[in-house]
Amino acid sequence: MVPITHYLVLAAVLFMIGMFGVMVRRNALVVFMCVELMLNAANLTFLAFARQRGDDLGHVNAFFVIAVAAAEAAIGLAVVIAIFRSRGSVQIQDIRTMKH
Amino acid sequence: MESIQHFFMTSPFDADSVRHALWLIIALPALGALINGVFGRWLGRANSNLIATAAVGGSFVLALLTFWHINDWNQVFTTPFDTRPIRYAVGMDHGTWFSAGDFIVHFGLRVDHLSGTLLLVITGVGTLIHLYSTEYMSHDAGYWRYFAYLNLFVAMMLTLVMADNLLLLFVGWEGVGLCSYLLIGFWYSDPAKAWAGRKAFITNRVGDFAFLIATFLTCLVMWSFVKQANVDNFGNVTAQQAFATGLREKGPVDFSGLEALARALPVDPGHAPTGTPAVTLQTEIAQGPLSGITYGTVLTAILLLFLLGAAGKSAQLPLYVWLPDAMAGPTPVSALIHAATMVTAGVYLFCRMSFLLVLSPTAMAFVAVVGALTALFAAVIAFAQDDIKKVLAYSTVSQLGFMFMAVGVGAFWAAILHLVTHAFFKACLFLGAGSVMHGNADETDIKKLGGVKRKMKVTYVTFTIATAAITGAIPLSGFFSKDAILHAVHGTTLAGHEAITHLVWILGLLAAAGTAFYMTRVWFLTFQGDRAADARIPEEKVHESGWAMTVPLVLLAALSVLAIGYGIPLMSAGEHGREPVMENFLRPIFATAESITSAQATVAVSHEGSLAFSWILAFVIAWVATGAAIFAYTRFFPSRAGQPAPAFAKRFQTWTRDKFYVDELYDLVIIKPIRGLASLLFRVVDAVVIDTLAVRGTAWVTARVGSVLRYFQTGDTQSYAAVMALALLGGVAWALVQVLK
Repeated sequence: MVPITHYLVLAAVLFMIGMFGVMVRRNALVVFMCVELMLNAANLTFLAFARQRGDDLGHVNAFFVIAVAAAEAAIGLAVVIAIFRSRGSVQIQDIRTMKH
Repeated sequence: MESIQHFFMTSPFDADSVRHALWLIIALPALGALINGVFGRWLGRANSNLIATAAVGGSFVLALLTFWHINDWNQVFTTPFDTRPIRYAVGMDHGTWFSAGDFIVHFGLRVDHLSGTLLLVITGVGTLIHLYSTEYMSHDAGYWRYFAYLNLFVAMMLTLVMADNLLLLFVGWEGVGLCSYLLIGFWYSDPAKAWAGRKAFITNRVGDFAFLIATFLTCLVMWSFVKQANVDNFGNVTAQQAFATGLREKGPVDFSGLEALARALPVDPGHAPTGTPAVTLQTEIAQGPLSGITYGTVLTAILLLFLLGAAGKSAQLPLYVWLPDAMAGPTPVSALIHAATMVTAGVYLFCRMSFLLVLSPTAMAFVAVVGALTALFAAVIAFAQDDIKKVLAYSTVSQLGFMFMAVGVGAFWAAILHLVTHAFFKACLFLGAGSVMHGNADETDIKKLGGVKRKMKVTYVTFTIATAAITGAIPLSGFFSKDAILHAVHGTTLAGHEAITHLVWILGLLAAAGTAFYMTRVWFLTFQGDRAADARIPEEKVHESGWAMTVPLVLLAALSVLAIGYGIPLMSAGEHGREPVMENFLRPIFATAESITSAQATVAVSHEGSLAFSWILAFVIAWVATGAAIFAYTRFFPSRAGQPAPAFAKRFQTWTRDKFYVDELYDLVIIKPIRGLASLLFRVVDAVVIDTLAVRGTAWVTARVGSVLRYFQTGDTQSYAAVMALALLGGVAWALVQVLK
């Protein structure tokens, strides 16, 4: 049996990769994929702990995260498409309207 | 005779239907006020007049029926405070108005002989004055507003009189103050009149504040007493339990509760047969904010505060200054509010709480002295006023002083008798003055009238009757009521204040002489003699008023004569011979006060003084002063007679005409400093601290902070994400440190 530490280290690595991607990639779609990666790293943690505890609590949470992630992906992609239609670009440095 | 008595003392109604209909007496005028106030603009003049007059008239009919009912032999009224029923009263408790802990106030109405008498005066005189107003206001565009206010006033005055507790009375007290303010400033586009309204309101506010403090102190006394008192205070356990039950159910401001308190507070210490001594006026209050002060001291303080409150409402020294200026309102308003009803509220208050007043001879002496000084002071000012309404206003102040004198020596029935007769003749005088103004192009200066009697016959005759009544000419009502007061003052001594009662009597006699003088002057200059050269309109154009104005005048003049029925000693009074009808009639109300005075000897009433002596004295005083006035004004004073007035009279006239500069004094001592303080507060606190520092300062700081922070707002999503990541990292690092420690 694989010890829980392995799962946690893998999850941490996935999370860091996702976070790094969110911070440095310019394409909004890729940023999105990195966010998904972070969410799934969290899922992995939940499942690892659920397995260690031997109950279903972690699974419940993971399913919630999956549902939320699906909704987020749908809305996020819609936003990206709308931005592309209005500006002709999905480069994140071109979208700076959130300033003063 | 027997059958007449039987007819009037057998009520045709059952007690429950009367009880449940009491609120209608108040509701009718209130409804009239609502209809006129909300829809009056669209109703038209005739409908507005009809609604207002009918509302008060209906109230009058209901009051008459109620009055008939409370005269019933068998009519009794029970209150939880007292194990014995009260005779000749009817009450209705509409449940708890509000309660906060022990402080419970009920919405309770009660009509007994005292409030019944006032009900009849208010609604009766009120109906006549509404009728009069329909013609007086016939040229005014704001008639519906006027009638709404006037109806509201009647409703509030009825609330004041019918309330069975201090706080509901205070509702009426404030309500009539509001209506008085609205009606004094009725022609608000004139700044002087609007100012007069504000002056009345603010002066009354001083008194109302004292009233409230007194009410709170009364509550504290009630609560302390119920804890401290023992069986000896009440006589038996049942009465003690009844008092505690009453306090729990009806709250501390119920008049029956105050009466039970007055009965249970014996003045003499040390007649307690068993156990701990009973609570007396000398006992110190054990706990609460008043601990360590004796009941007697607190009671005197309460009564003096009530005196200040009553002085505000009833225009006594030192708060009388608003009433003469209140004449800025329409004349019928002066007749109803500022002569017949509202201003007598202070007298009513003390009569309602007569049982408390007689516990404190000091407070009684204060009331008597304030009344006597006011009576004389106002009479002297009235000597030289040229405005017919101003003279009548000062006359009202002076007559109210007489009522306070009577209250101060414990002759409560005489105060009420004078209140009733004064309501009749002073309303008649004011309405007569209004009629004179109406027929003389609104001229109020008596020096510019003269000879009015030739054109205004009805006004002349009624005004003459009312003048004779207020002067105290036999056989009119004013003679009997004023003489009842002077006789009572003469025959009474307050324990510990003997000299004061004698002083009050002398002041009262002087004021009575003053009354005769200034009333004769007004009557003479207005109606007699030749038309003044500088009159506003020539004599041919003077016209008598219409029926709606003359009918109330005639009825009020008739009432001023007929009211002697109350003052003549007809009723048998045991060993003291015969007593006046009013005294006999009001005996159930003042029985508690009377038993307290006779048991505790705070007020010694002597029945030795002969009534005939008082009558002759009053008669002589009235005629001497009247004769002096007629002599002076035919020989000297009217400048149109070509005779210059003597120098001393001129100087005296200047002083009295300028009202002894009391208004100027108040302006200097109170209004100017307050204005100075207000402008200081405005410039420093308002303009600098609040406006500049607080309001603009906050905005300035927020704007500066914002303009610095906006540089962090780049709009770059990824730098925001980096900040979030760093924060997360910090959180994780902190958590790690905590775990490792």
